[in-house]
Amino acid sequence: MHILPKSGLPRLVEALGEQHELYGPILHEVSGDALFEKLADPAALRLDAPIPYIPPKAAVFPHFEEILHYAYDRDSKKVDIARTDLVRPKALIGVRSCDLTGLACLDRFYLGQEFVDEVYRDHRRRTFIVANTCLGPFPQCFCVCTDSGPYAVEGYDLNLTDLGDHYLVESGSEKGAALAARLGLAPAGADAAGRRDAAVNASIASFDPAARENKAWISRAVNRLTTGFVKNETWEYIGHQCFECGACSYVCPTCSCFNIEDVTPAEGPTGRIRTWDSCSFEGYSRMAGEHNPRRPIEDRRNKRFFCKLSYSQSKKYLRPGCVGCGRCARVCPGDIGLPNVVQYIRRETTGR
Amino acid sequence: MAESPLNAIVTVPAVAEITEIKDEIEEVRTFYFSFDHPELERSFRARSGQFIMCTVFGAGEFAVSLPFSPENDRRHLSVRRVGKVTDGLHALRPGDKIGIRGPFGNGFPFDAIKGRNMVVIAGGIGLIPLRSTLVHALQHRADFGRIILLYGARSSRDLMYLSQIEDWRKTEGFEAFLTIDRAEPGWAGEVGFVHTLIEKAKVPVENTVAFVCGPPIMFNANIKELTGRGLKDEFIFSTLERHMKCGIGKCQHCAIGRTLVCTDGPVYTYKQLKTLGEQI
Repeated sequence: MHILPKSGLPRLVEALGEQHELYGPILHEVSGDALFEKLADPAALRLDAPIPYIPPKAAVFPHFEEILHYAYDRDSKKVDIARTDLVRPKALIGVRSCDLTGLACLDRFYLGQEFVDEVYRDHRRRTFIVANTCLGPFPQCFCVCTDSGPYAVEGYDLNLTDLGDHYLVESGSEKGAALAARLGLAPAGADAAGRRDAAVNASIASFDPAARENKAWISRAVNRLTTGFVKNETWEYIGHQCFECGACSYVCPTCSCFNIEDVTPAEGPTGRIRTWDSCSFEGYSRMAGEHNPRRPIEDRRNKRFFCKLSYSQSKKYLRPGCVGCGRCARVCPGDIGLPNVVQYIRRETTGR
Repeated sequence: MAESPLNAIVTVPAVAEITEIKDEIEEVRTFYFSFDHPELERSFRARSGQFIMCTVFGAGEFAVSLPFSPENDRRHLSVRRVGKVTDGLHALRPGDKIGIRGPFGNGFPFDAIKGRNMVVIAGGIGLIPLRSTLVHALQHRADFGRIILLYGARSSRDLMYLSQIEDWRKTEGFEAFLTIDRAEPGWAGEVGFVHTLIEKAKVPVENTVAFVCGPPIMFNANIKELTGRGLKDEFIFSTLERHMKCGIGKCQHCAIGRTLVCTDGPVYTYKQLKTLGEQI
């Protein structure tokens, strides 16, 4: 563990900037919204910004990405086909533990199953992550209920905890330790871990009691979803609340479904483009010839909550698929963000 | 980090040439192909029941089950023209190139069903993904008891692979029963839905496995008939089709129940299908 004076943060950012594109939270100058973006100006980095609107997953799993391109000349029968590899090394600075846990879920899903997603792998191999401990919750937060915050225990290269006039710097990888050594950071004193724990405990204590009470219910919801004990009426109610806008999937740190389409521009090779997709869309499961095995909205809607909470999906993430960031609750026009869904499941059991 | 299975083409399609095209039935053609890369042409192996992702350059990519058997069988795809990408495929001519990723999916469990009677029940183009089960069984005749094909379609013009079926009849112990929905002049086979053939063929229940593929209504009628006669759910196999984008368990479009058709399927037992709680 090391100490980084707050005045030394630009040095850390500058050192990362030598070999990486820099990404981090900024506040939009007009709306004031927190955004996690490529930093045009490293000085705009705001480690105290609230949960960014779109999670940092967008830096390693872009909304829109060409994965390969090809040109086929029918006259000569010549095919030129190759991976499109535009991935530059990226440093994600100020990743909060909910979003870091989201990245861990994506890692396990994309890299840890039978097949490896080579496109995602190429992003992740070139990513440096600086995590940021949350000293208090933002209004929508419930990471304390989903075992994903407010303090990250793994998955980062460096973790920063704000301890007043300085950051406590913890290394989580060889890359991280090497950077800390290169910057010549002073070692932390013997009391550093204790002061960090006190800060983290104070953070947990300041979470809304309602968020903490949901904790028991998230694990019970996992149980009920997995064993099929959620009543059909509850799914129907939730389904009828859904506007099919897909916003929940877009802002979710663990939603990873994608679509692929070959797009031929007026000139130049055809690109195979992958874009984010959402299981709430009607066309998601529709096959050529119009057969759609998954038609009613409640059928599509409960799919997403199975993905976030069911045990069978947790086996792929090695934890529940919800990381408690609260973004879905904030963006959902139909009031069926995940915390509300847990509440509906609770209500059908307890009546309140 | 982990690596994908070495024998599968995961991300960048391998280029293959269409060597021959055969019209099968209306809107369905068979495309014989060989890989441009000689090493891949030699080493490519797909288990019976697996599928590939086929790129039609300029149009896109689609999932298609493999009709050919790994041994002594020409590599080909039989595809119905049904949308944008398959339109593009049907516009191709011999000598044109396609792209291939795969093979993906689990395949049929032949090792586990050795020594049993095999009944293959197909409706229309549902015979395409089941073709390799018959080729395999006929190539390993001694590993199976009775080998029975029950095949039905709306009309005689909708029956696939008719000349091959006639060839297969030359193998001793292979029985094929063909049916069409309504009588036609000159039709010598059966008339009626395909599940009625189960009775006519005196399909045994003891020591039997069934492979069933076709439209949902035909599938359900046959399942009812087979299970009603006492065939156990775990001895009935089917292979599913779903909208797929990646083939490797990542895009999740093919999710059914808690499984993904691309990596957990496409071959399922009826016992598994029942627990998935979704439409076929």
